[in-house]
Amino acid sequence: MKKSNELWRPVVIGLFLVFMILPVIATLLFSVSTRWDHTLWPEGYTLDWWKDVIARREFALTIKNSFLASFGTMVCLLVLVTPTTYWMRLKVPQGKSIIELMASFSFGVPGVVLALGLISFYSNVPLPIINHPVILIAACMVLALPFMYRPIVNSLDAIDFRVLTEASQSLGANGWAILSEIITPNILPGIISGCLLVFSTVFSEFTLTNLLVGTVFKTLPIYLVAFTRFDARQASALAVVSFVVAWVTSLLIIWVTSKSGGETAHIVGH
Amino acid sequence: MTVSLNSPHRTTKATASWAVWLGLLPFIIFGLAFEFLPLLTVITSSLTTKGSFTLKFYQQAMDPLFLRSFGNSIQLSATTAFLGVVFGTLVAYAIITTKNRSIQNALTALSDVTTNFGGAPLAFAFIVILGSTGVITLLLKEVGISLYPNFRIYSISGLTIAYLYFQLPLMILLAIPSLYGLKREWHEAALNLGASTFRYWLEIALPILFPALMGEFLLLFANSFGAYATAYTLTGSDVDLITIRIGALITGEVQLAPELADALAIISLLIMIICVIGYMRLSNLSNRTRQ
Repeated sequence: MKKSNELWRPVVIGLFLVFMILPVIATLLFSVSTRWDHTLWPEGYTLDWWKDVIARREFALTIKNSFLASFGTMVCLLVLVTPTTYWMRLKVPQGKSIIELMASFSFGVPGVVLALGLISFYSNVPLPIINHPVILIAACMVLALPFMYRPIVNSLDAIDFRVLTEASQSLGANGWAILSEIITPNILPGIISGCLLVFSTVFSEFTLTNLLVGTVFKTLPIYLVAFTRFDARQASALAVVSFVVAWVTSLLIIWVTSKSGGETAHIVGH
Repeated sequence: MTVSLNSPHRTTKATASWAVWLGLLPFIIFGLAFEFLPLLTVITSSLTTKGSFTLKFYQQAMDPLFLRSFGNSIQLSATTAFLGVVFGTLVAYAIITTKNRSIQNALTALSDVTTNFGGAPLAFAFIVILGSTGVITLLLKEVGISLYPNFRIYSISGLTIAYLYFQLPLMILLAIPSLYGLKREWHEAALNLGASTFRYWLEIALPILFPALMGEFLLLFANSFGAYATAYTLTGSDVDLITIRIGALITGEVQLAPELADALAIISLLIMIICVIGYMRLSNLSNRTRQ
């Protein structure tokens, strides 16, 4: 009886691993195989598809745009969230519910609804950001806000920020000096994992990009989807690039959080 | 909560009590500009025609055409949420009862990474394995099962499998803390009283977990209901889901009254919000009963 009880576990875990890893491995193999559409195993291997993909001008352009959007969103969120969260925890505890409501907006509001709202509002306002990367960065900030806010607020709660602040005040430090030289270094693991989460979320973002700036500002996912329609080989190479970026940032997050001994900020949504 | 260490400053504090809110101003302006006002525009626009209040766009949204899109979205979300809850709980249980700590951590990390993995590249990966010449399709053909033409990765049934790729890891992350709430002694007590493991799960563990599982079902439902990228990558605008339909209205692929798109968006939003609030209520409830 004991034996049959134990057998289910490796089976369940094994099936789970196959389901999670097989699509990624298959895409990688597909991108380096000469032909793989009627045999169980690729007929041969080649790097031609990769050479073709990399040689295209749009490849560098879309990668650059993806980095721009991800990096822009990350920096803007960092500047917006870090001082505000610290100030809120220190001086305005009553403001917590408003901040949390805003920070979890993207959990309740689907991407298509956010895109629709931004387009209807900004087409009637004298602020020309429609069809401009700025509106994409703003939308991505809304989308990724919880990923920046959560780790930062958790790290703040984990350190004794109040005592640190008062100690630095009594030594004559002013507000900005306290934030940049005392608080920030102490919550750095939270800030870094927040930044990485924002980066990987925006790097693979498709919905908002497609609906807001899809025709004028092409990012890697937009390019990938356009490719799936006419050249699956080269699309597979682009998908592998996305997977690599996503895995590398994720592994960095795990590494940073395990180093700091903190708990991973569990995230919801995708 | 309040800082009362330096009481001599109390007078300045009273006048400054509203001034401290100024520190939150950048954040509040951001929220107004990119969250609240855009949403408000959609709500008011869906409720007005030529400057006066109307519900006619909501009546139009009840057209069988759109009801079918809502129906498909609800069906897809309910199916993937249900399968996600069942298999996610099973895998989570396998993970937490694994004795090897590093396997446990690696599997949790894998779930953590892959929850965020939805979207375009992943949808494409499913074409590679389950498309008409995909490796799984070929493998199954080899053993005598032909998936096509009954199954298509570009259809709702194909989307179900692709959605599970992000539903399953999310459920695992949600279920692990819930399952840790089950005390080992309860299982032992039940076995000592002569119950089988099956009866323990059926009559003790599952009823205890039920509120948490319901809440997690709702969150997975919302997670799938709002999704767009995976479905769009796999099917373009062919599949009849409500988010795809709203997307097509935004990009102008389909021409309709913009207010109708607003009404469809608000109905979808309400469905999402009900699910998310339900999740929060139920997870609070199950946290309290456990303590």
